Amino acid sequence: MTPFTHRTFPRAILHVDGDSFFASCEIVKDPKLRGKPVITGKERGIVSSMSYEAKSRGVTRAMKLSDVRKLCPDAVILPSDYETYSLYSKRMYEIVRRYTPDVEEYSIDECFADLSGMRRVNHMSYEDMSMRIKHELDSELGMTFSVGLSVNKVSAKIASKWRKPSGLTIIPANMLHIYESKLPIGKVWGIGPQTSAYANKLGIFNAYDFAMKDMAWIADKFSKPFVEIWRELRGEYIQGLTIGEKHDYASISKTKTFTPPSTDKSFVYSQLSKNVENACIKLRRHELYTSKFAFFLKTQNFNYSGLELKLAQSVSTPQEILEAIEERFDDVWRKGVEYRATGIVLMDISHATGQTNDLFGYGNRIERMRSVYGAIDRISEKYGKHSVFLGSSFRAINERAHRGDRSQAPWRHRNIVRGEGAKRIAIPFLGKVN
Amino acid sequence: MPSYSEIMSLVGFKSKNAVAKLVNRLVGEGVLDKDGAGRLVPNKLFGEVPVLGLVEAGFPSAAEEELIDTMSIDEYLIPHNKEATYMLEVKGDSMIDAGICEGDLVIVERGPEPKVGDIVIAEVDGGWTMKYLRKKDGKTFLEPANKDYKPIFPENDLKVAAIVRGVVRKY
Repeated sequence: MTPFTHRTFPRAILHVDGDSFFASCEIVKDPKLRGKPVITGKERGIVSSMSYEAKSRGVTRAMKLSDVRKLCPDAVILPSDYETYSLYSKRMYEIVRRYTPDVEEYSIDECFADLSGMRRVNHMSYEDMSMRIKHELDSELGMTFSVGLSVNKVSAKIASKWRKPSGLTIIPANMLHIYESKLPIGKVWGIGPQTSAYANKLGIFNAYDFAMKDMAWIADKFSKPFVEIWRELRGEYIQGLTIGEKHDYASISKTKTFTPPSTDKSFVYSQLSKNVENACIKLRRHELYTSKFAFFLKTQNFNYSGLELKLAQSVSTPQEILEAIEERFDDVWRKGVEYRATGIVLMDISHATGQTNDLFGYGNRIERMRSVYGAIDRISEKYGKHSVFLGSSFRAINERAHRGDRSQAPWRHRNIVRGEGAKRIAIPFLGKVN
Repeated sequence: MPSYSEIMSLVGFKSKNAVAKLVNRLVGEGVLDKDGAGRLVPNKLFGEVPVLGLVEAGFPSAAEEELIDTMSIDEYLIPHNKEATYMLEVKGDSMIDAGICEGDLVIVERGPEPKVGDIVIAEVDGGWTMKYLRKKDGKTFLEPANKDYKPIFPENDLKVAAIVRGVVRKY
């Protein structure tokens, strides 16, 4: 085996990954939970995150909670508290930003950071920066993170996954080949089960086998994204970081499940209406517009039925979308069928309205609606989401989405401090102290 | 503003009629005023609102200069490290002599090494407890600020999770 290069860090890319992030956010505020199998996702009926204690008992992501209870009767199963998780998530990004402004907020529990060129500014080596970042994350957030330092995103991912939980793995470019030779091809970021099965047929079993093929061979057998992965596995820096808050979306979707399933048309419609309102709130937050959307209903047997509809104008308010849905809702709705979820997917999303004047003054109405929603958004900012909502969403907002076991509200909703209402203090709450 | 009967006990009068006479004098002096419903409202009770200076075009004014260096109540409460700051709600009266009451919110910082004498949040028997961190004969322990409670001597090592940096009370 020969190294791909003799250099160590032509670029320095860091990947940070919160260990069992949601479960850790729950444990950090309640010391009683430490050492126990803790699972989040109660409201969904499936596991969304689990502590290492639960993992070691065989609990996996997306496992049904009924199966979890059989496998692990002492599991502590909690409803997701996204409000708390996102506070911790923002803190994770901020701590990494102490060392570099170039941070990609990849997901709620992961981020990439470009440390290149920051050695002189921070008066320390890349290795020291990685160590300090991990130490500050662990000690200030009270949970552990797995951190990987390497020369691009693909190899930084290899590094952060190398030792979990609470690992710190540093892979300079001239050492990449050693790690890759021990890594099955399917474990590389961006290579799924289909591609890895195909690679196996071509005699490629680990990441090093893949990296050692020549470019022409790779380009002949694989599509473009895999050529990029191949180049990164050889130590090149190809995939740039997306810095700053995400403002571009290919699509925006909102789905919500309710239990027990319902055959009540007005209730199911109100659920859909609320999803449309929520999707539009997100559109407006990013100053985006949609002109095409799909809505669907999901039955108790997990069948989907839905319709894709187009609008004459790009909009960011729910009225036009709901008007179009109302006209066609009966084409999708079937009497007597039990529905368990509704959803909306907004497509053809753009920054511009692309507005054209029309004969019937439709555009004027949209313009008026937009100023009404400008006011509604300001009210929501002051008094909390859904302070003003559509009558068609009334039942979804006023009736509980879940009855029975799934109905338990997230912890933070049940623990409000004096003076808080729909809006809460933006500091993580650790509960009561004696 | 206090009610007539409260003023009565405040100044030691025997009747509300006497209070009414006092109030009328104060209204006459311009210290108090009465609103449309006859309720008392302060007039010049708390002095005039200070004027910071006139803003003159072209010249920097004293008002502008003074207002630049301000901080929000957030920044005031969280002077150390924003990302390491948490809050807890106080239960019970074990720290009452330190001025921390039931229902108060304490602002705490995770991460730094606690010093002896700090009020700390420690993990005891699977729950949070807030006490003074003390040291005696080389051993650290937790001391409440209330004579009715006993100090806590940990069996193993003491698990300090955070240091108290501030208290918030809302009425």
